[in-house]
Amino acid sequence: MASWLFAGIRLPLILGAAALIAYAVFFANPYDLRVLTLCGIYALLVLGFQFVFGHAGAVSLAQATFFGIGGYVTGILATRFGFPFLITFPLSIAGPALLAVIIAVPVLKLEEHYFSLATLGIGLVVLLLAIQWSDVTGGTNGLSGIPAIKLPGFAVVDRRSVLWFVWGMVAIGCLLAHQVTRGLHGQAYHLMRENREAASSLGLNVAELRFGAFVLSAAYGGAAGALMAHVIHVVSPENLDLALMVTCLTMTVIGGRTRIAGAVLGATLIVYLREWFRVLENYYMIAYGTAALVTLILAPYGLVGALDRLRAFLIAPARAAPPIVPAPLMRTAARDASVVAAGGPLLTVDNVALAFGGVKALDGVSLFCNQGEIVGLIGPNGSGKTTLLNVISGLYACDDGRVTYLAHDITREPTYAIARLGIARTFQHIHLVDDLSVLDNIAVARAGIDGGGLMQAIVTVGRDRRLDAARRIAISAADRLGVAPVAMQPCGHLPYGTRRRVEIARAFATGPRVLLLDEPAAGLNEEEQRDLAERIRTFGADGITVLVVEHNLVFLAALAERLICLDRGKVIASGLPEAVRREPAVIEAYLGLEAGVAELALDEPP
Amino acid sequence: MTLLQLAINGVALGAAYALIALGFVFIVNATGAVNFAHGDLVMAGGYVAVGLGSMAPVPIIVLLPLVAAIMFAIGIAFSLVAYFPLANRPPSTVFISTLLCGIVLQNLFLVLFGPQARAAPPFIKSGTVHLGAIEISIQALGTLAVAAVLIALQYLIFARTQVGRRLRATAQDRPMAQAIGIHASAMIAATFGAGTALAGIAGALLANQFFVYPTGGIPLSVYAYIAVVVGGWGSIAGAVIGAMMISLFQVVVSAYVSYAVATGLLYVALLLIFFFRPQGIFGELVQRRV
Repeated sequence: MASWLFAGIRLPLILGAAALIAYAVFFANPYDLRVLTLCGIYALLVLGFQFVFGHAGAVSLAQATFFGIGGYVTGILATRFGFPFLITFPLSIAGPALLAVIIAVPVLKLEEHYFSLATLGIGLVVLLLAIQWSDVTGGTNGLSGIPAIKLPGFAVVDRRSVLWFVWGMVAIGCLLAHQVTRGLHGQAYHLMRENREAASSLGLNVAELRFGAFVLSAAYGGAAGALMAHVIHVVSPENLDLALMVTCLTMTVIGGRTRIAGAVLGATLIVYLREWFRVLENYYMIAYGTAALVTLILAPYGLVGALDRLRAFLIAPARAAPPIVPAPLMRTAARDASVVAAGGPLLTVDNVALAFGGVKALDGVSLFCNQGEIVGLIGPNGSGKTTLLNVISGLYACDDGRVTYLAHDITREPTYAIARLGIARTFQHIHLVDDLSVLDNIAVARAGIDGGGLMQAIVTVGRDRRLDAARRIAISAADRLGVAPVAMQPCGHLPYGTRRRVEIARAFATGPRVLLLDEPAAGLNEEEQRDLAERIRTFGADGITVLVVEHNLVFLAALAERLICLDRGKVIASGLPEAVRREPAVIEAYLGLEAGVAELALDEPP
Repeated sequence: MTLLQLAINGVALGAAYALIALGFVFIVNATGAVNFAHGDLVMAGGYVAVGLGSMAPVPIIVLLPLVAAIMFAIGIAFSLVAYFPLANRPPSTVFISTLLCGIVLQNLFLVLFGPQARAAPPFIKSGTVHLGAIEISIQALGTLAVAAVLIALQYLIFARTQVGRRLRATAQDRPMAQAIGIHASAMIAATFGAGTALAGIAGALLANQFFVYPTGGIPLSVYAYIAVVVGGWGSIAGAVIGAMMISLFQVVVSAYVSYAVATGLLYVALLLIFFFRPQGIFGELVQRRV
């Protein structure tokens, strides 16, 4: 218990929250109670925004729209139809959530500013509708006379009860956010926003994760908007506009974009600053924009993140490995026996072609890999090696041809599905989450395969057993690659060679039948190369098929049982390493020299 | 009003939009950053013209070089605040910082010039020229002329001068440009300056007929963005054509239906393009490189 309390920045946060509660209970006058209520409403809005902006990493500009729609649903249903809170409130959450579901399919395909401007466009259309459709929405004046919250048997009328009610909702919101973002599911978000391709090639369904975050953000926005309508008794187009959106964004940037405490802190701070500096009028908005800008530049993780870093700087956290019992991977070669017995190759690439504009990156490539075989894929720069890996793992859709794996056609399968079927990969450029420990970076590999998804995360009580199981597998994978001694260190500080091995360990932790490695030896010294080759060879011995893209022929010579050479998108040679290396076409492709001259050069270490 | 008259009004407005979109696409090409304060910088140009005009009552054509110089400096200052400190962060961070800068600018205008709409001096003098049944304001003719000169000038600079080649090299591949001795940061700052100067000139030209007011820049940021999306992301010619299309659409639909419907349909059009032709109307679809 004591160690839980002293971990991270829990103690100051708990003390801060206690001080705020004490203030509300003992000292607050009616005006303060109203301001604190607004803080709670904004906290709920920001908590929702954190899902899409913080966790999914997408700058949505529709959060105010969801807030406004929530308010309008409550306003219309309560004033025109006299519906009670128990009906209007759920509908005010469902309304924006439904809009999010409808627009999610087209909008979530977009990235970066396309996504932001699409959400902005939707927001502006809704705003115009609210102003123009005045029979229903009251036009620019909005709707007034929205009643206070009434529950069966008791009306939440006086300011103190309103305050407790709103903050009760905030507490529920915090709990739900905690459930979603802790554990393996939360770490999946972490990897996804760092790098989408890496996440999907580990079996994470990025679209599903983004969808969940977007709909949750809409639901929170709707709840906050409905509460606001009850508290100030009015809804107007101001509830939908860009100024509110910027306020929400500012609160999130200042508080911290992924931390629950950040949402509460950011909302409270901004609401109070606005009250205190009301005398400054418009200068206040200048100061407020500037403060957000400064925070963005100096404290990218917001004030809560900055506190956390300061604490880590002052009191270094213990890095001792926790007692995790390693668990070997469950997927074994035995399960593939049927395929092997059938005699077919495990992975077949058949006549694959892909062009980028006028460049034929792949021009009818065919190859196969047998179970447990280690195959080297060589070729000069730009010969299509990485492109081929991208086609196999589903990141690129090829124009023509077929990829077959375990007798399934996987050519048109999405990347995450291919990864879940058992094809894992690493990238030429390392994509790890710098802030997470080695152990958790590897454990994320299990999120897509047995992570369980959003609903499971929400209903998990107590420890997240999936995370525990993932960490047990991760520690055994770390051991396989020799990175277990640094398992508790954050990845950002590790040397290059170690990071490479962490990435391979992560791919291995998905329990693959096929492992695609893109230049695993790049940037390693000879000692590290030998060690890595030794470890990769044990994969083959375990029945894992390894396809290695490499320039380094010395590294491959010690590793690969067979070499395939690509040049300008075509296979120009394949067979035993010795034979391929002496093939005139290969020597010519690599060095542009006549065969005999270059033969020696290829034998030299590069 | 006849359709021809509307078309001419649309083209005149489109000339100003084209300058705005041009400035926007310069910054996109040089940095990959979407500048959401771009419309506010247009307003800033308008306010500079208003301020200068109140000091010396001369037509805008005389003030324009000074407006451009001041806006160039503002653009460089803007890049030092909104772009350079965040250059190594994800692109969305720069997007947010420009959004925040926009808020700061809007409230700065409010404090300095008040909430009411202000008008800048006319291009030469107010009045119209008649060509048969068609009537064109001198302001519109002046805007068209300035836009034509500046669009030609930017073409010459990018295509024919050494500075233009350096700017293009920096936009295309920054590390490579640095490796061959180009001062990339200076080039990017200059691009912000030039983009902002174009926005400011457009603002000074628009501020006579359409006025400037503190929040007037927000729709202009969105229009500039839509123009670039319509024309194909990063295409300079596309941005100009996109801006023309937007203004024609706006003028015609406003005349026959209403301004609100015109704006709403424009946003709907943006969404439709996103979903059905993300490469823009003129662009070519290229598979994203991983």
